[in-house]
Amino acid sequence: MSQGWNPYATLSGGLRRQLGIIGVAVVLLVWFALSASGWISANKLPSPFAVMKALAYLTWSEGKSLLLDATLWSVGRVAAAGVLVVLIGVPLGILMGASPKLNALLSPLIDPFRSAPVVALLPILVMWLGIGETMKVTFLFIGAVVYLVPMVRDAIQAVPQSYWTGARDLGASPWECIRHAVVPIAMPRIADAIIVSVSVMWTYITVAEYVNAKVGLGQLIQNARRFSAMDQVFAGIIVIMALALLTYQSMRWAKRRLYPWETQT
Amino acid sequence: MSETAVIASATPAVIALDRIVQEYPRPEGGVNRVVDDLSLRFTGPSINMLLGPSGCGKSTLLYMMGGVRPQNTNMPTSGTITIDGVPCNDAHDDAVMVFQRYANRPDLNVYDNVAFPFRLALWRDRIPSAERHGMVMHMLEAVGLADKAKLLPSQLSGGQNQRIALARSLMLRPRILLMDEPFGALDAQTREEMQKLLVRLYEEHPCLIVFVTHDVTEALLLGDRVVVLSTQPARIADDFAIATPKPRDSGWLRMPEAAALEQRILSRLHQAAGKGNVRVTV
Repeated sequence: MSQGWNPYATLSGGLRRQLGIIGVAVVLLVWFALSASGWISANKLPSPFAVMKALAYLTWSEGKSLLLDATLWSVGRVAAAGVLVVLIGVPLGILMGASPKLNALLSPLIDPFRSAPVVALLPILVMWLGIGETMKVTFLFIGAVVYLVPMVRDAIQAVPQSYWTGARDLGASPWECIRHAVVPIAMPRIADAIIVSVSVMWTYITVAEYVNAKVGLGQLIQNARRFSAMDQVFAGIIVIMALALLTYQSMRWAKRRLYPWETQT
Repeated sequence: MSETAVIASATPAVIALDRIVQEYPRPEGGVNRVVDDLSLRFTGPSINMLLGPSGCGKSTLLYMMGGVRPQNTNMPTSGTITIDGVPCNDAHDDAVMVFQRYANRPDLNVYDNVAFPFRLALWRDRIPSAERHGMVMHMLEAVGLADKAKLLPSQLSGGQNQRIALARSLMLRPRILLMDEPFGALDAQTREEMQKLLVRLYEEHPCLIVFVTHDVTEALLLGDRVVVLSTQPARIADDFAIATPKPRDSGWLRMPEAAALEQRILSRLHQAAGKGNVRVTV
């Protein structure tokens, strides 16, 4: 165990996977034991088997896949909001990072929302935008953009000044400095910010679909809860977690492919 | 000071510093005077060494000569700087700096780092696109990185990274090259290689070089002229020319001529009661 308490030790891929599997297995075992023991009733804690059965039922029953429909709608909403968040949040964060004046002007409007209950905005959005898709995408957008913008700004400000000075000395205009000497260096951190923001959207999806969703993973959970189908509630949560993990991992992979130089500096 | 007058009067000055005073506010109040009533003239092409202890304000002087000046600082506090007789208040298009911390873009390969100026409107306007590739390749050959053109800066050593910075600056054939302890962070052997490289590149393209260093040996090996600065505040402690042809090697450093010059520099620094340190490596 000499390697146990050493934050700099590296584990082999095999050992890391084994330990990960053990962790999940222990939770499953405890879950299984608790539900099998009868201490907690099945409509409070369904057994792992019941959840698997619910998952199978949702995946295919009566000639259609409830799960696929719900997933596609939820993914569509997250994707739409994600594109908007990146298109608006990244340029805004870059401008705020590059201009202390713009930052002073806008950060009091954006920073408080990082710790404010964005969920509380939902009733307001419903009143303003109705109960349709616009409201849902807007809600996801606001929930994520308040994280993304400050992080992009910080990524810009974290670029060492030597890059800026070096470009300035070569006769670059301030805008050329930002474009050619600051933003390219900040890109890996900006990519990290995008990854975090999109992950945040997956945590808000259930809330976004709380109101009047005809179809979606949040609605699926909501609907199941109304009929006390706890197995389906668990199944829905597991699917959302799996999707969030898949999104996260694929974005991480894309980032490593796009900025292979980052880890080397 | 008589040698200065001789050098300065021969041709009109390219860079002229006139009665420069630089003060910085102290955090605890009051001001810290780093440069005190200092006047200097440089004519090109020549290699001019600004030698002084660490923190004596020699880099501050260098930034004033057409380099990028720090923000939020009034620079200089008083006095005037002219380049070709025209007052210079900010980065000058004809002056290019080489920093101790080379700012190579980590995401661009060696070739693109050297070609970086061509991303900027200034150099795109000045240099026709047909000539650019040839200029980059010529510089890569000159600094010995032609076979590493496709590698990223992180795959190269510190000395090789400084070669990229040197190639990028010299490719532009600047009239004024400002060097701020460019080899200060390199190990002794690499520093020696870089010094030889600089002399070779200078002979190919002579320009006015002002080179800041705290290394007495470096000043003796490279300088056509050595300006010794005292510290806190910086004043001129000595200013002399070295006529010995270059490249000068470590053998020359052991000759009586060089040893005498070294003694002269050290005694002037002691007289000026310099508080910082100079490096003596022979």
